[in-house]
Amino acid sequence: MSPQFDPNISPGDFFWLLEKSGYRWNAQINSSDKQNGITVTHGTTVLAFHFKGGVIVAGDRRATAGNSIMYERCDKVIPIDDYTLMAIAGVPATAFEMARVLTHNFEYYRRSQMQVMSVEGKIRALSKLLKENVGMAVQGLGVVSPIFATYDIRSKKAAIHFYDMLGADFKISTHTATGSGSPTIRGILEHEDLWGESPLLERSESDAITLAIRLLQTAAQFDSATGKARPEDNIYPTVALITETGYRFLNDQDLSSLCKTSLRRG
Amino acid sequence: MFEEPYRWMEAVSTRHNYVQEKLKMGQPVLSVPYDDGVLVMGFSPQQGKVFEVYDRIALGGVGHPADVERLRMTLLDMAHLEGFNRSAQDVTLARLLQFGIAPALKQNFEEIQRAPYIIRLLLVELDGAGHPNFFRVNYDGHWETFKSGTVIAGNEKVMDDIQNKIQDTPFATFKLDKALEETCRLWNESRKEYEDDDKTIPKNLNQAFDRWHLEAAVLSGKVERRAIYRALTEEEIGKLKSSVS
Repeated sequence: MSPQFDPNISPGDFFWLLEKSGYRWNAQINSSDKQNGITVTHGTTVLAFHFKGGVIVAGDRRATAGNSIMYERCDKVIPIDDYTLMAIAGVPATAFEMARVLTHNFEYYRRSQMQVMSVEGKIRALSKLLKENVGMAVQGLGVVSPIFATYDIRSKKAAIHFYDMLGADFKISTHTATGSGSPTIRGILEHEDLWGESPLLERSESDAITLAIRLLQTAAQFDSATGKARPEDNIYPTVALITETGYRFLNDQDLSSLCKTSLRRG
Repeated sequence: MFEEPYRWMEAVSTRHNYVQEKLKMGQPVLSVPYDDGVLVMGFSPQQGKVFEVYDRIALGGVGHPADVERLRMTLLDMAHLEGFNRSAQDVTLARLLQFGIAPALKQNFEEIQRAPYIIRLLLVELDGAGHPNFFRVNYDGHWETFKSGTVIAGNEKVMDDIQNKIQDTPFATFKLDKALEETCRLWNESRKEYEDDDKTIPKNLNQAFDRWHLEAAVLSGKVERRAIYRALTEEEIGKLKSSVS
């Protein structure tokens, strides 16, 4: 019942604990493998940008497989710990599993080592999962393109990181978006930041929320894999904020009135 | 040497005496309900009495720090693997104890060639319905459950006295401030059981605040997040200090 000390194992490492219990994350790369007609669920627009009080992370709710809409209430912005959110684009099965591993990894580290994992450590943990997922990604079954947003309680700064499928991370100082609907809105975000009423970083929380809702609605207009807000069915985009007090999701009641005002035509 | 049953029983009995002697000076850790959750608190010369185990589970320990640490890590490993493989809702104290550390502790204690764990543990959870469950685990794997709060201490008389007082106090109706004050008062009353000539043990709350650390944490039912454990802030402890000193 007592854990053995192993100098090759980093203390508080949940990956090691999982592997010790028989769990295997990574798949071998095998060029002979094909999808064999398997249609995986994906499709998305998720975005994140810095505003005055922290970071806003938002996403649509649609999951698709080929031309089929599979689900309209998919939560693509996932809490990892009190200060961290991951927005996912790509194959939900892999992305949700990554989120689950990360959640347990960060919490296990915090509880066992009695200190919060550094932001660099958290960023590297997601890189490691993506790197080990390359086998599935190149076989077309598990591509994930996440946005990782967190608040560093040591430096008191919010951070956004974007990853490629091989696990390289890129620190974002203004805005980012990913998923099939993202090309439509990346240009708008850049335009808003450079020539809008004020740079994104100077915008208030309510202005940031309004912009996020409008951007997702715009993406849905041009991308069939991105779902629109459907107030009549109580389907709203997911909108969350990370500030110095941690993350906070807007509830359906708030989103109902915010969508109404934000989407009103000028 | 141990081939006869009597010799084995004698050896086990000696181990009881040995562990109890070693535990004797272990300072109390109390856990009580309050109107919005559960409080766990204890004074100690160095940090290492109150810990978070999982989203809704806290641990208090008395005994050898290395033994408390080994069992804390065992509980953490079990809880996190269960939470990952199944669900956070499947991580319950009853399961962690009944199928986890209690049988292992008993086996370890009765295998008399192995060093016994010098510990007494207090475990508490606020279940999904918001009901607190209190558990006390002994070094030999024996565990008990309590409804209205519990305490562990090295000295069994101190432990029994505080336990009786906890049961007679309506902690569940108290606000956090009052629950903290009352637990400090019970801790203070236990001082008379310690020998006067031991200069290392604080004689009253003022000395305890000056020389030792107060470790206190809550499992708060008001928190909307998954993990509801929160260590009390220095501000909260400072406020308590001025109200009870």
